[in-house]
Amino acid sequence: MLRSYSPSEYLFFTAAVFSGLLTAAVFGFLFFFGLPLLQSGQLADVLFSSWAPGKGLYGIYPMLLSSLTLATLSMLISFPISLGCSFIITALAPLRLRRVLLALIRVMTGIPTVVYSFAALFFLVPLMRNLIGHGSGMSILTAAPVLALVIAPTMILFFVNSFNKVSPRFTLAAEALGCSKIQKILYIILPQAWPGVINGILLGFGRAMGDTMVSLMLAGNSTAMPEAVTDSARTLTAHIALVLAFDFDSMEFKSIFVCGLSLYLLTALLMLLFRLSTAYFSQAR
Amino acid sequence: MKIQTQSLCFYYHRQQVLRDINLHLPANKITAITGPSGSGKSTLLMAFNRLWEEIDGCRISGEVFMHLNGQNTNIYNPTLPLLELRRKVGMVFQQPNPLPMSISKNIAFPLRLAHIHDKRLVGQKVESALRKVALWDEVKDRLNDDGRLLSGGQQQRLCLARALVLRPEVLLLDEPTSSLDPDASAAIEELLLSLKTKCTLIMVSHYQDQIQRIADLHVQVLNGQCSISSNSLPENPSNRLSMN
Amino acid sequence: MRKTIESCITFFSWGALFLLLMALFTLIAYLIQKGADSIQLSLFFGDTTPLDALLLRRQVFDGLFPAIAGTFILIACSMLIAIPIGVAGGIYMAEYCKGKLKPLFNLTFDILAGIPSIVVGLAGLLLTILLNRHFPRQIAPCLLLSCLCLALLVLPYLIRTTQTALESIDPLIRKTAPALGASRSQNITLVLLPHSISDIISGIILATGRCAEDTAVIMLTGVVATAGFPRSLLGQYEALPFYIYYISSQYTGPEELANGFGAAIILLLLCIGLLGLALWIQRRFTTFLLFR
Repeated sequence: MLRSYSPSEYLFFTAAVFSGLLTAAVFGFLFFFGLPLLQSGQLADVLFSSWAPGKGLYGIYPMLLSSLTLATLSMLISFPISLGCSFIITALAPLRLRRVLLALIRVMTGIPTVVYSFAALFFLVPLMRNLIGHGSGMSILTAAPVLALVIAPTMILFFVNSFNKVSPRFTLAAEALGCSKIQKILYIILPQAWPGVINGILLGFGRAMGDTMVSLMLAGNSTAMPEAVTDSARTLTAHIALVLAFDFDSMEFKSIFVCGLSLYLLTALLMLLFRLSTAYFSQAR
Repeated sequence: MKIQTQSLCFYYHRQQVLRDINLHLPANKITAITGPSGSGKSTLLMAFNRLWEEIDGCRISGEVFMHLNGQNTNIYNPTLPLLELRRKVGMVFQQPNPLPMSISKNIAFPLRLAHIHDKRLVGQKVESALRKVALWDEVKDRLNDDGRLLSGGQQQRLCLARALVLRPEVLLLDEPTSSLDPDASAAIEELLLSLKTKCTLIMVSHYQDQIQRIADLHVQVLNGQCSISSNSLPENPSNRLSMN
Repeated sequence: MRKTIESCITFFSWGALFLLLMALFTLIAYLIQKGADSIQLSLFFGDTTPLDALLLRRQVFDGLFPAIAGTFILIACSMLIAIPIGVAGGIYMAEYCKGKLKPLFNLTFDILAGIPSIVVGLAGLLLTILLNRHFPRQIAPCLLLSCLCLALLVLPYLIRTTQTALESIDPLIRKTAPALGASRSQNITLVLLPHSISDIISGIILATGRCAEDTAVIMLTGVVATAGFPRSLLGQYEALPFYIYYISSQYTGPEELANGFGAAIILLLLCIGLLGLALWIQRRFTTFLLFR
């Protein structure tokens, strides 16, 4: 079939291709600057050794570990809370309250992370200092609940959205048989919409890994290997934000490309999983 | 012959919906298309204005000839301007689909698409189109109201008027009365009969009684194949009476 | 047994909601309690009279005015760059993109959306370093660079909101204009875009909110603690979120700290205001815009 291309279509196509190229360009920049490290075979050193510039060690392993620990811990806090809240907003609350809550959660997505972190720095950190009993009070354990608060609205909205996509044919049928609200969620909606829950977790984890301000301001930024969640730690994102003061040719500076690349690849992987599972589950329907 | 199809086949993704359709449809008649749901009735209709091209995954083979502007034209000829075709072949859908704009703007919309901007001319055409569908007296005082505020029957007549404003030679109707109450349906049926002098009408319908009341020809789609019959069925004398 | 589990889950859900709201309101109440007193005219303009400051007759040194101005210019420029590209890309995705290209583009934009903002900032910084090798000492992190990076950060949101807004249009509406002889671009400009305009606008406003709050990108691309009112796109500048971060680590006394709380409240109000606007437009504007 012949199709005529209009000039406007070319314009739109160009915009899309341009945006796509930018995605690749970000990777390209990181790769180009990280290339010397890759060629000299120092990559494994940088990835898996600890950070001790005094001894000539510029490994980002502690940061990688801190990032993953913090993201996992905040997900552990945030996921059950988000799921519970999405149950309430989908069905458990009375209709008017649901609307109010949904609007409130939407507004929460707009609260700047730097504001959360700022308030938590002066409110939560002193509390944690007393609780832990040593150190400054800044630790993975301090940052995790705040990060959980930051990513919860995104997850809640995603869950609610996928729950609401379950056809009313099923829910009405169940309600006509006299099933309660919680039964409707557990036995009708959840079995239909659980792929949405998995996708929400992937998105939430991506956000948690990518956040800079919470960990930068609350996790303490110590470069030592974190031994416990009550230790001060530095995440990959915070490391990028902090190392900049150094000379452009130093090893310190080079290490941040590896941080950037790891973050890029990790989030890209999460997104790939997200897309694959979306495609898989929509086909399985 | 107004419309002639030659070994028309239609595919949706891998599935063949219509196979080898050869139809001859005469001018200034109402042809009714029937068939079980999902049999490809609407698809057949969309083959006449190439609207299926807007839907992802559709493919067609074969030819459709149509007598347009006094000439016999292959509507799948790549050099044929598609938009001209759609302006000559109007379409009305099952659900009334007024656009979210005022009544007069709805009617004037196809004119705007065809770059007719002369206000007086547009005004005249809007009025005459609304008169044709007997809606003028009902809405002349509120032409600037939202078209979606009208009743279902009025909305459908509005859509009919909108399809007529460009003076199409062929009018395609996809179950035009199935979302309306009996009174509104009767009004539409009456309109369709009055349009026969100017247009060739092709209508998908579910209602046997409606077909017997207004259709001249009857095309049945079954398993992707068509059979055509004149609507003057001998075993139905009442129908013959109404035909004459 | 089943019944117990069911009521446990119900109870737990309400508990989760309570916990979330408690955490939210505690932090915000704390913020307001600490910062409410500092919200005065002097917080914005310091010792300078407001009129002098607004007319740029005198520099403001100990007020938030330069930071607020910087944030607004930042938002305006980034959105100016991002909106045309994002909306055009979204239109392409919804209306033209077909076949195998579509999942590829979808994944690409998902990845772009997933890139942490600090990495976007880092890419911008690397761009300047690269350019610096060719044009030594001419290119440094600046306001323009931040705008470009922020535009890149919100680009996928704009593409996505435009795309979903267009794709969720009822198929019947989609077919209406073509059946009347509209070309593809007429269908887009006359029917599809007006139909989805409220969703697109609210998407744009949400993206604006992200520009306003993002700290990580601008940290690497030219924001500084004191620069005064931004005079040029190629100069350094101040911004509200960075000011808050800077105060949190460098404050010298209770007064500066109180200013930090004040700035946090103002940024909070700005972002919530933008969000409220977006929600309101989504609900209200549809009919208003279409009937003019």
